[in-house]
Amino acid sequence: MAPTVTPDAISTILSNPSPDSSSDLPQIVVQVLDLKLTGNRYMFNASDGKMSVRAILPSNLSSEVISGNIQNKGLIRIMDYALNEIPTKSEKYLIVTKCEVVSPALEMEIKAEVKSEAEGAESKQQQYENKSEGPGFVFKTKQDMVAKSAAQIVHEQRNMAPAARMAMTRRVHPLVSLNPYQGNWTIKVRVTSKGNMRTYKNARGEGCVFNVELTDEDGTQIQATMFNDAAKKFYERFQLGKVYYISKGTLRVANKQFKTVQNDYEMNLNENSEVEEASNEAAFIPETKFNFVHIDELGPYVNGTELVDIIGVVQNVSPTMSIRRKSNNEMVPKRDITVADDTKKTVVVSLWNELATAVGQELLDNADNYPIVAIKSLKVGDFQGISLSTLGRSTVLINPDVPEAKKLRSWYESEGKGTSMVSIASGLSPIAKGGSRSMYSDRVSLLHITSNPSLGEEKPAWFSIRAFISLIKPDQTMWYRACKTCNKKVTDGMGSGYWCEGCQKNDEECSLRYIMVVRVCDESGEAWISLFNNEAEMIIGCSADELDKYKSQEGEENLFQLKLKEATWAPHLFRVSVTQNEYNNEKRQRITVRGVAPVDFAAESKFLLEEISKKVSQ
Amino acid sequence: MDTSNPAVFVNGGLLRMYVGRRVRAVIQAIQPDAAGVAGKSTDDHQLVVKGSPPPFRLTNFVEVIGIADTDRSIRAEMWTNFGDTFDTQNYNQLCQLANGEFKHLFV
Repeated sequence: MAPTVTPDAISTILSNPSPDSSSDLPQIVVQVLDLKLTGNRYMFNASDGKMSVRAILPSNLSSEVISGNIQNKGLIRIMDYALNEIPTKSEKYLIVTKCEVVSPALEMEIKAEVKSEAEGAESKQQQYENKSEGPGFVFKTKQDMVAKSAAQIVHEQRNMAPAARMAMTRRVHPLVSLNPYQGNWTIKVRVTSKGNMRTYKNARGEGCVFNVELTDEDGTQIQATMFNDAAKKFYERFQLGKVYYISKGTLRVANKQFKTVQNDYEMNLNENSEVEEASNEAAFIPETKFNFVHIDELGPYVNGTELVDIIGVVQNVSPTMSIRRKSNNEMVPKRDITVADDTKKTVVVSLWNELATAVGQELLDNADNYPIVAIKSLKVGDFQGISLSTLGRSTVLINPDVPEAKKLRSWYESEGKGTSMVSIASGLSPIAKGGSRSMYSDRVSLLHITSNPSLGEEKPAWFSIRAFISLIKPDQTMWYRACKTCNKKVTDGMGSGYWCEGCQKNDEECSLRYIMVVRVCDESGEAWISLFNNEAEMIIGCSADELDKYKSQEGEENLFQLKLKEATWAPHLFRVSVTQNEYNNEKRQRITVRGVAPVDFAAESKFLLEEISKKVSQ
Repeated sequence: MDTSNPAVFVNGGLLRMYVGRRVRAVIQAIQPDAAGVAGKSTDDHQLVVKGSPPPFRLTNFVEVIGIADTDRSIRAEMWTNFGDTFDTQNYNQLCQLANGEFKHLFV
């Protein structure tokens, strides 16, 4: 028989307020209800299904609650107790000095089977009202109503069909109607995003927290956060994509800094909140809403705060890499996948943590089938031109059942498979006609950049410049040894060859990739700028491997010097990002080239004429 | 650089102001005929360039420097090929600026 309460346990307690601890107490098992922390002790209602009494656990027993032994709706056997009376109010309360756990949280509150189902709400209401006259059990009106509906549901659950009773007994409020001043609501929502459990430490102590994004039938979204006990309680229960009835949460105005959904309020759930899964509701709320951005439209999002969703065909899945997190030296798993879409462009998406290990592995296993992957909430960075990164709240769906996926699949099968795709990162280097327009946006003089040391303090500042290369120092380190697969720096391998930390493998060969600084000048002044491989190749006109060969050539005509000479005093249009670096406690401005284009003299002249007329009309 | 006799940037419309003076202009060469090379100025005027044409083949656009004969012709002393593509609008605006508010920078 399943563990249950001792019938009339409360009556027994009430009739024996101060038991002699040496005598054998009769079996007293009660259910712990409404367990909550008051001050520094835990209080609850001890219930035997018929009656209940207010109870307190002395502080030495608090650990039992914190550790999860004594749970709300769980059963405990009371071994020693004292029943006291509050003099000013005619209330009795029970101090449980010794107890042992009989059962963890039960499904529901135990109610004695006194009334038959046929009776309506009224009789149940009476039942509760009777109870309220019992010792030490004080109802607040709000609780009254909610408890009533809970009781209704619990009883009705016993004979009615799930769908019907859910619809009938729950008055579901639309998310848009919730506000902090009306607490009596139930909502029906789908979990459209689930964050990771995070631990934190602040002045008040430590704890854990996680949040979920909830969407209701109307499409309204709200973020719900849970701390500590509530977090532990609900973390497993909330599953991405499932629908839940939630009530007894609190609302407060959302912190704009951390806002991720469009809602003025955010929700907080504690251990008293109720979260119940709604079954058979697959058709109820639209699935995760995606707002896909085509790969060739990603440019404007680079380094922005807006998160993007993409969908594409997986071309490549890298092995899992372990990256050391700078902030706390933790190792974090990461996997890079290359995704292509029907704009014939590809982009690299970095999957982090569980997405790298679990989802990443699934993608790798399926790689030969070129699965379609849809990812929501990606951060757009500028690493290697453009890079997409997952966050805790990102969602990855493989071969999702959305119309875009079908469209992509048919495109891929017919054309995509055979087409050679171009990485959007190289495409962002504006040589293409469309791209060169960007060489005229944010056009500044070198002096504008060098005279303003606070540029790029918070996040990189982007500009276009037109300048001549005035000096390429021949004796600088112009390149680094790079892994042929991932382009990261390699170190000398065990034995012969080179070791790549990222790919975790040894390779006999490596490639050389440019990394250099050159001096440039324009009519306003001069500056030193950093160049990486792609742009340096365009300026010098040959690859780093080739230049290295020239360097080591003997003979009168030193091709190496010639190449550098040819590159000097050539004008270029540069797209640069300006950041601040700390160097020996000094803040230094760093100008990095992100794109280079040849000077289009006609366009440049037009631009200058416009500038002249602007100045003239000032 | 010999700056003793600067040539004024002109298009078709400005040529008449500098008759007898040294000018330079870019024209779109149409065809050489008996009189010289006929061409279109950057503001779509028909001009004639007299004088012995250069030994090399002329590209689409040519800059000629010489004395303005009439308001329609230039006696060329120097011919320079400017290639087959040229933005005539830019040049035209240059002519206007060089003869307008920025004249002092040029002659």
